[in-house]
Amino acid sequence: MKKKSVAVLLITVMTSALILPGCAKSDKKEVEFFSSKAENAEIMKTLVDEFNKENAASGVTVVLNTPADAGTVLKTRLAKNDIPDIIAYGGDSTYTELQSAGVLKDLSGADYLNTVQDAYMQMVYDVQKNKEQVPYAVPYAANASGVIYNVDKFNELGLEVPKTWDEFLDVIRKIEDSGETPFEYTFKDTWTLCCAWNSIAPDLAPDTFNDERRKGNTSFAATHQEIAGKYLELMKHAQKDILGTGYDDGNKAFANGEGVMMINGNWVLNQLVTANADVNVDMFAVPASNDTSHNYVTSGIDVLLCESKTSKYPEVADAFMSFMMRKENNQKYIDDQFAFSPIEGVTQSDAKVAGIQKDIESGKVANFPDHYYPSGFDLAEALSEFAMNYVNGEEDSKNIDTFLKELDNQYDAVNIAE
Amino acid sequence: MIKTAEKKNNLITIILLIGAVVFIFLPLYMTIVIAVKDPTDMNNVLALPRKLRLSNFADAWTMTDFPRKFLNTAFITVVNLVFTLITNSFVAYAITRNRKKSKFFSIVYYYFISAMFIPFHVIMLPLVIQASTFHMDNIFGITFLYIVFGLPMNIFIYSGAIKSIPEALDEAARIDGASPLQIFWNIIFPVLKPTSATVAILSFMWTWNDFTMPLVLLTDQKQQTLQLAQYIFSGEFSVNYNLAFASYTMVLIPVLAIYLICQKWIMNGVVAGAVK
Amino acid sequence: MSVTSRHKEKKESRMKRKNKKVDTVYYLGVGFMAVLFFIFHTCAFLKGIFFSFTDWKGYGAWNFVGLKNYFYVFKNKDILAAYAFTFKFAFISTIAVNIVSLILACALNAKIRFKNFLKGIYFLPYMLGSLIVGFIFNFIFGNIIPKLGQTIGNESMSVNILGTSHAMWAIVFVTVWAGCAFNTLIYIAGLQSIDTDIYEAAALDGAHGFKRFRLITFPLLAPSFTINMVLSVKGYLMVYDQIMAMTGGGPGNTTTSIAVMIYKQGLGKGQFAVQTANAVILFIVVVAISIFQLRILEKREEKVG
Repeated sequence: MKKKSVAVLLITVMTSALILPGCAKSDKKEVEFFSSKAENAEIMKTLVDEFNKENAASGVTVVLNTPADAGTVLKTRLAKNDIPDIIAYGGDSTYTELQSAGVLKDLSGADYLNTVQDAYMQMVYDVQKNKEQVPYAVPYAANASGVIYNVDKFNELGLEVPKTWDEFLDVIRKIEDSGETPFEYTFKDTWTLCCAWNSIAPDLAPDTFNDERRKGNTSFAATHQEIAGKYLELMKHAQKDILGTGYDDGNKAFANGEGVMMINGNWVLNQLVTANADVNVDMFAVPASNDTSHNYVTSGIDVLLCESKTSKYPEVADAFMSFMMRKENNQKYIDDQFAFSPIEGVTQSDAKVAGIQKDIESGKVANFPDHYYPSGFDLAEALSEFAMNYVNGEEDSKNIDTFLKELDNQYDAVNIAE
Repeated sequence: MIKTAEKKNNLITIILLIGAVVFIFLPLYMTIVIAVKDPTDMNNVLALPRKLRLSNFADAWTMTDFPRKFLNTAFITVVNLVFTLITNSFVAYAITRNRKKSKFFSIVYYYFISAMFIPFHVIMLPLVIQASTFHMDNIFGITFLYIVFGLPMNIFIYSGAIKSIPEALDEAARIDGASPLQIFWNIIFPVLKPTSATVAILSFMWTWNDFTMPLVLLTDQKQQTLQLAQYIFSGEFSVNYNLAFASYTMVLIPVLAIYLICQKWIMNGVVAGAVK
Repeated sequence: MSVTSRHKEKKESRMKRKNKKVDTVYYLGVGFMAVLFFIFHTCAFLKGIFFSFTDWKGYGAWNFVGLKNYFYVFKNKDILAAYAFTFKFAFISTIAVNIVSLILACALNAKIRFKNFLKGIYFLPYMLGSLIVGFIFNFIFGNIIPKLGQTIGNESMSVNILGTSHAMWAIVFVTVWAGCAFNTLIYIAGLQSIDTDIYEAAALDGAHGFKRFRLITFPLLAPSFTINMVLSVKGYLMVYDQIMAMTGGGPGNTTTSIAVMIYKQGLGKGQFAVQTANAVILFIVVVAISIFQLRILEKREEKVG
């Protein structure tokens, strides 16, 4: 008797397990929207839901997919030749790889292209292979990397936004004198190590560095000494556990009053607000140079949208792109993310980015240097080692030398491999 | 003499109890407590919650699409279990019984055993490509791969047990006119029950807890497993540990339940599998 | 000779012949599964070897490049560092897991109260997936231990160990935590198979405590010890889940194991071909270590037997 009931139970479980996923598969009229950022998952979800409501008649739904470690996942899918229908990704070397693999749809002729500012369209072309002037992607949001500071604490301590490196050091000293910690770093998530680098390097590196480095005419060791030095200098004024603090934990701590500044990007703001709705912050460009004309805001394409060539429902994918590029929808995204819009007539007016707003509008911006390093080049890992050696008490000049040499070695290794 | 033998060692008991509390119970207790706490109640992580917040479970349930992921995982586990037990035991039986009679089976045996030396990560990269060419990057494909990839280990475990079954048992049945399949199914398979239990446990643990193969093969969100979902959502859980731990708890509960029910069986099975 | 016995003899000889002949069902069953295994497992392995001689990125066009990828693997600092880490990790973890399990097994095998309950508790970690265990300990190392360290004023405890150059030890700890269950169980099975008479004889000879363990228990545990060693080394050389859950390979590349590297670089950083070469080398290493272990095992069994 008992045996029988066990058998019946087993069979029921088995058949249900067999049938249920089968059912799920049969009604699969879906378009996949692959998005690389956890920070914007919520607003993307809202937009996708709106689109699905509006487009219910077509019978095809758009499904959002935001995996962790999106870059690796996307490249795995490239290897599997299983390209998501619509992709939202940053304008970096992964995009270059995707575009050069020839899997993206040429968007020429789409109405929304006319609304995009030329400068941002050019940024897309710049990261395409051989700088090809074909719109395989359309910029959706621009970001800005720099210092995020706690406005209340700046006012309390009577500090002003620094314009030069010397002023910056002065501010740091004053903060330390007051007993506060100047910086909150979140290096356990290694990509955050790149933020300060991306903010300092464009101010001080030679303009032609990337092209010359690719040809092998120059080296990091020859040109990036000052950059590495200043990077190291800033690291000395952070909380104790820089390498053990994760991005999420660090953001939470900063939003709740730990540290006075962070070097990261506007994408953090949304996380800070989630952690503490009353957080009062603003941004300024890292003043890495004493020549104020060199102190750029580092800005790049945070999100670009592209379509697969081989979508099953190209009309729906097209419709979704047009939907996303509508001014009112882009505005929603920009507001939620404290980002900047490449679309004409969509503006960012939040106080949390007021300090860099002007620079962005006037075009005093520099590109993210790491978007132009080769794809196998792991800047984050090298910086992480650099930071670890510092924490372990390595002597500064030696540490800088090893680090820059390591960058050059790595660059040569991946540059030749391509 | 008898009295001393029954005297219990209290010191070791106490040390073991303390160890169990600190190392095993505490992390699990923490997981559950965080899962039922409010995000504002995290100052003392280990303290009991001020107020039970069960909505964490509801939120994690919808956010990770738990029911679907659960069914996917259950599908892979159950189907793999059933097919593994039937096919792998038969292959092991056929090989073990015929190794002396035909070279073919000997060769196949050594082929499978030597394949045990190939760790999964060695074939991972080409497998990703191959699985997508064959359209096997879905739960059906991955289930199939589990069944096939389990062969070497299971043949190894089964053949040890089959050797110890006297061949006279087969002979007798053959004389009675039973076909090889009948002999296997009616006579050998029932005798192999304890070994099948071992194989079942090991297969269950493998498929339920595996993270690597789903990570590289299952790209469609609707087809992903529970373990993979925990990794995929680690970015979105980010600011909310309570939600993340509620999700972990939900994944751990089925395993803990099974463990509570068939603890003895599992422990015996694992030992049998390793010692053979 | 009676009719029946002749009949029987005839039947027997027929049976012998029949015995020699193997039923086709066996060929079909085994052949079918062997072919499937060949297509899905061995072919993938062979393809991997093939790709390791090309410059394929996983998509697009490719060329043969000969042994270039292998030279790259041997010259690349990061890959060599991954090998160094993996060996070090596997070595330390194997020893740590086996020492702790041996102690646990002896304790659990002693005359204690709540024996089955305690055994059940200590075996529990085996059931939990290593990814989630990793996530849970990630939180403990990141949020609980530093707070504890700050309260008691211990400098080195007040930082997240996963962000220091000692991150490996945290991963070893989690591995021991999860790995002990299985090993302990095997040792207990070994201990239970030892005849208690031997202990009584030893007690008469004056062997107690550690001396008894060293001279009697441990040699008799040899088979369990061998199983645990072989399985541990092979498992820990492939360490992956815990690292993905806890450090992702950092800080720097201090905790990047070979398995993590194959995944991250091979699929994420466009080094598909290089990492297939790496995988082939890894295969050779695993085979070499396994053969080495089996040799020693055989030698010892000869000695014992």
